[in-house]
Amino acid sequence: MIPLQVLVADDEPVSRTVVGAMLRKAGYPVLYAQDGEQAWQQLDCEDPPALALLDWEMPGLQGPEVVQRIRARQAQTPTYVILLTSRDSSADIVQGLRAGADDYVTKPANEDELIARVNVGARVVQLQTALADRVRSLEEALANVKALQTLLPMCAYCKSIRNDQNYWEKVETYFTQHSNVSFTHSYCPNCYERFVRPELEALESTRAAQDKQRRG
Amino acid sequence: MERTTALDASVLDSLRQLTSPGEPDVLTEVLKLFLAEVPRRMDVLRNAHGGGNIEEVYRSAHSLKGSAGNVGAHALAEVCRLIEERGKSGDAAALPALVDALDVEYRKVETEIHRLIGV
Repeated sequence: MIPLQVLVADDEPVSRTVVGAMLRKAGYPVLYAQDGEQAWQQLDCEDPPALALLDWEMPGLQGPEVVQRIRARQAQTPTYVILLTSRDSSADIVQGLRAGADDYVTKPANEDELIARVNVGARVVQLQTALADRVRSLEEALANVKALQTLLPMCAYCKSIRNDQNYWEKVETYFTQHSNVSFTHSYCPNCYERFVRPELEALESTRAAQDKQRRG
Repeated sequence: MERTTALDASVLDSLRQLTSPGEPDVLTEVLKLFLAEVPRRMDVLRNAHGGGNIEEVYRSAHSLKGSAGNVGAHALAEVCRLIEERGKSGDAAALPALVDALDVEYRKVETEIHRLIGV
């Protein structure tokens, strides 16, 4: 599995460097932002970092404001956000989590705790990604099931089926494409009487005639 | 074991151990950043204090506290915390003594850093 990218946003260079070094030592590729505005620019894109460590107090956009913007985007696999804060009163923590943060770490960060929490975040992101993939494949399967529940136009004579693109296909071809069904060919008792037996009898009489001729 | 008063040896050790193989020493990098960043912030704080901008005093002290905490400068961080607290509550009377104490603590840290990285 490719290691997930982590954004570290802190206006204070010493703290930014220390946190970044902790993450890199743990094997995470790190992106840096020097303030909230820069962090938002890096998060508001097609393929944002999977995790973000945002300092609470930054000039311009503060950590909780960045979180609110991220949550307003409603991405399918939203960035997991950990707020870095030297605030530790429970009212502040509640405020940060209410803004949409997933977790918080108090500064100065303890390496083991920070990495443990980032690893939890990485697990959550991976789980979310796996679930999103599963939902996507289930939706595709459901679309095929729906196709099979509709009225299928079938030729009354040759039994071909008209598909969505207006082409006539053999029943086998159509169902192989729209379901997990595959076909094995055999014959039913009625068709045995109607087709197979007369063919076998015809063969038998041909062979008898040939024998008679050879002996004669 | 290094004996220092201004900087916590165990914090310095953890920083040293953050260095990834083949990369520059994290401790040296962080201490150099500290020397580049902190005096600038202290100027901002002093000017704000001189100009009576308590809001800015509080903000700068908060930021300095973060830098100090990261290098294990506990005494310096504590002075910053006190300034931040007074700044927040608008208690300007206690500030002049604390700003002086900030200078004293910073000099100790600076001397220690110079000794460590040999500048």
